[in-house]
Amino acid sequence: MEAQDSHKIVLKINGNLHAVETDSNWTLNDVLRNRLDLTGTKRACDYGGCGSCTVLMDGVDVYSCSILAVEAQGKQITTIEGLGNSENLHPLQKSFALSYAAQCGWCTPGMILSAKALLDRNPDPTEAEVRMALSGVLCRCTGYTSIVQAVLDAGRVMREKR
Amino acid sequence: MSTEFLTVGQSVPPVYGIEKTTGVLRFPADINLPNMLWMKILRSPHAHAKIVAVDATQAEKMPGVAAVITHKDVPRVLFGPYQNEIYPLDEEIRFVGDTVAAVAAKDWNIAEEAIRAIRVSYEVLPAVHDPEFGVQPEAPGAVLHYPESHELKPGDIRPDQLGTFGNVIGLKEGGPTVVNQRGDVEQGFAESDVVIERVFRQSEVNAVSHEPRACVAVYENDTCTLWCSVQDPYRLQDSTARVLGLSMEAVRVVSTNLGGAFGVKVTGRFALLCALLARRTGRPVKIWFTREEESLDSHNRSALTHYVKAGAKKDGALTAIAVRTFLDNGYWPFGGLGQNIAFAICTRPIDLYHRCPNVKWEVFAVRTNRPSTGPYRGRADAESHFPIESVMDELACKIQMDPIEFRLKNRLQQGDDLCSAPTKIMSTVWLEEAARAGAEKIGWERRSTLAASSNGARKKGIGVALVIHSCGSNPAGISEAEVTIDITGAISLFSGTADQGSEQQTTLRQMVAEVLGVLLDEVGGCNADTSTCPFDSGPFSSRTVYATGIAASRAAEEVKKQLLELAANSLGEVIGALDIGKKSVWVRANPAKRIDLGQLARLAGGSISGKGIHNAKEDRLFAYGFAATFAEVEVDVETGEVRILRLVSSHDVGRAINPMIVEGQILGGAAQGLGYALSEGFYFDQRTGTALNQWFLDLRTPSILDIPDIEPVMVELGEPTHPFGAKGCSEISYVGVAPAVANAIYHATGARVTELPMTPDVILRALYDGQRNRM
Repeated sequence: MEAQDSHKIVLKINGNLHAVETDSNWTLNDVLRNRLDLTGTKRACDYGGCGSCTVLMDGVDVYSCSILAVEAQGKQITTIEGLGNSENLHPLQKSFALSYAAQCGWCTPGMILSAKALLDRNPDPTEAEVRMALSGVLCRCTGYTSIVQAVLDAGRVMREKR
Repeated sequence: MSTEFLTVGQSVPPVYGIEKTTGVLRFPADINLPNMLWMKILRSPHAHAKIVAVDATQAEKMPGVAAVITHKDVPRVLFGPYQNEIYPLDEEIRFVGDTVAAVAAKDWNIAEEAIRAIRVSYEVLPAVHDPEFGVQPEAPGAVLHYPESHELKPGDIRPDQLGTFGNVIGLKEGGPTVVNQRGDVEQGFAESDVVIERVFRQSEVNAVSHEPRACVAVYENDTCTLWCSVQDPYRLQDSTARVLGLSMEAVRVVSTNLGGAFGVKVTGRFALLCALLARRTGRPVKIWFTREEESLDSHNRSALTHYVKAGAKKDGALTAIAVRTFLDNGYWPFGGLGQNIAFAICTRPIDLYHRCPNVKWEVFAVRTNRPSTGPYRGRADAESHFPIESVMDELACKIQMDPIEFRLKNRLQQGDDLCSAPTKIMSTVWLEEAARAGAEKIGWERRSTLAASSNGARKKGIGVALVIHSCGSNPAGISEAEVTIDITGAISLFSGTADQGSEQQTTLRQMVAEVLGVLLDEVGGCNADTSTCPFDSGPFSSRTVYATGIAASRAAEEVKKQLLELAANSLGEVIGALDIGKKSVWVRANPAKRIDLGQLARLAGGSISGKGIHNAKEDRLFAYGFAATFAEVEVDVETGEVRILRLVSSHDVGRAINPMIVEGQILGGAAQGLGYALSEGFYFDQRTGTALNQWFLDLRTPSILDIPDIEPVMVELGEPTHPFGAKGCSEISYVGVAPAVANAIYHATGARVTELPMTPDVILRALYDGQRNRM
């Protein structure tokens, strides 16, 4: 087998710069999970079908399994770990956690980040707009109702904070 | 129900909620260890073959490859999730995707390259792709070689009998796997005023858990630790110990959280090979399935064909039910799964319609060269209720009786003898109450006038299905739980159940908190770690809240008894004068006279511990849950498309320990059931056995745009056999959806859909057949 081409790259993730070494064919998902131990970003399918690997790239929700690590240079990447933590929860993280909108939790990081991208560009979405914006992330457990409600609830909280 | 409880009955937030939404919760796939190797599996391109030769020298020489194992390198020790019946690797290959060899390498790219460099010569054997062909005497054997060391129980098939009588799993040559018979069906049909005969076909279905299975194995100092996506950690512990030749104590399995499992994530070859490679290399080894592997190397819901005949009298009395079912058991040789599922298929719907005097239901569980089939959400009942509830609907229509009243007239009553268990039904049967509550919610009385609101080609209809499902009725089920108090007063619950998303730990801790009079967040603990938690059969058959709930409550009661005895001694009072709660014990007449739990633990020598157990066989305690599912649909008779306008899912839940979680399980089960009804099927090439749609989107699970707001109804009338009156409902919510939708389509169009999934082409065909029959 040919040795993989290796690249030294710098990624800006959750506000911090990380110098990492990556093979040419590694995706952003591979680097996040296996070089930086940011395992909150999941994968369920490998090819842009499930949305579990969703992260924000310059504020836009993207599939980290479908972006090569080398392509992510110079971009601002936000993962679920960068959104908030148990001491300082983002309203979306809080509303999903409290309302059982995260059942098994596998699609949850992708759902929350897709919802964050929506609320940043449209702070007061209708239910139909929430459904359309989240349609790139699939969930197998909740039946979606509680997810839609959690996003609408978090939107309300975020508007009140403004 | 009343709120006489402190925590039970409250929608308290789930204990793992914040860890799940902040991304800090580690699933097995999220574990990365220093010096860790990646494992990949070489999978068979043939449906049935014998490995003639394997040459791994090329692969072994590749830079970065640490080890390769083939069937020649593994111990000839049998293991299995339900009974010990397969080797970690075998020379007989039984389905496309079967495990041939495994590699551990520096990263997954190298491992992937290395498996491609393994040269295998196969002798391709005739394969069985269709159960109805598989039962014929001339069919080849789907499984030929059978482990000579298998310990045969009386009635088991001998190895030399395999494949000699048409691949049917069972005891009698040429006969079915199981038959459930009472009365005389011919007599029953002769007495019937109407008889319906139908053939139903259901596709294989994959659970599509979003977390692809993972395992990380560490082997050091003759001990082995596995972090693995399984619902049966104790079974994996046992299998690993036997395959590695270690004692049970030397193997630790951790499966605390799973990214969805739905019954299918059980002990498998991938985990044992991971352990063997960790021992071989002396380094941590990780495998994480691709989606393709997660689809193939799983246990799917069987493909089935049911030949159904049922009759009734004009007054609504069922006279006879006769069914012959062919079930695709997949490659599993002895069918620990097939036999089990076959029995439940032909008994539980018959229990539901207990008043029917004449029954003959034969099930042929047939070995084929397909991936394994097994218990997936609503196991056996999803398989059997689609045909039965469809036929009940049609019978009611033919005798011009209300479909709900017809069913209720023939239903099970508390105290009736069961045929699905060797006993009477001891649990409550709140089926009628669930049906009436659901009917009210959906507006059942609109049914007679709904056709008028249909618009051109778009026809509206409402349908119902009544269903039964077990909670904790597996006679082999055992749950243990331990509750401890330490010197800081901390209360912990140790339970062997993995959380697959139903947040069982929340519900179990609520019960413990209730017994001890504390709040939910005052109970901590640990789950599904075999080194610290007592045995549990696992979260299967909706048993956790019921069976593990009984064990946890008993453990908490045992601790409470010890605390009261210690406090009585210490405070110089009789137990009856004491109250417990708020992490202390006090004298009722003088609350200032009190002692806290930490002090009591010190008095007891450092800690207090209580154990509880639920043993289904010895306790003879199990329950059945009941539900009524209602669907309102709009069918476009020109395109065959179905829109779900409303879905009401009404459940006998006994009592909801945590209503938010119960509701969440009902919503989620119903949504998954809609996928089963309308879009999901897992298909294979009938000539080669190759999967055709193993990739994520091709399995057609519903998206957020496909699922309407489902309306849950909880009927909470209690269940006396459980300390807090709870029943499970995570599976039954799935079971009734497909027949309810089929019956709504029938109501809307007069066409009987007899195939799952009910995709537009299937519906158009049913519409066409319906028209042709009327001509």
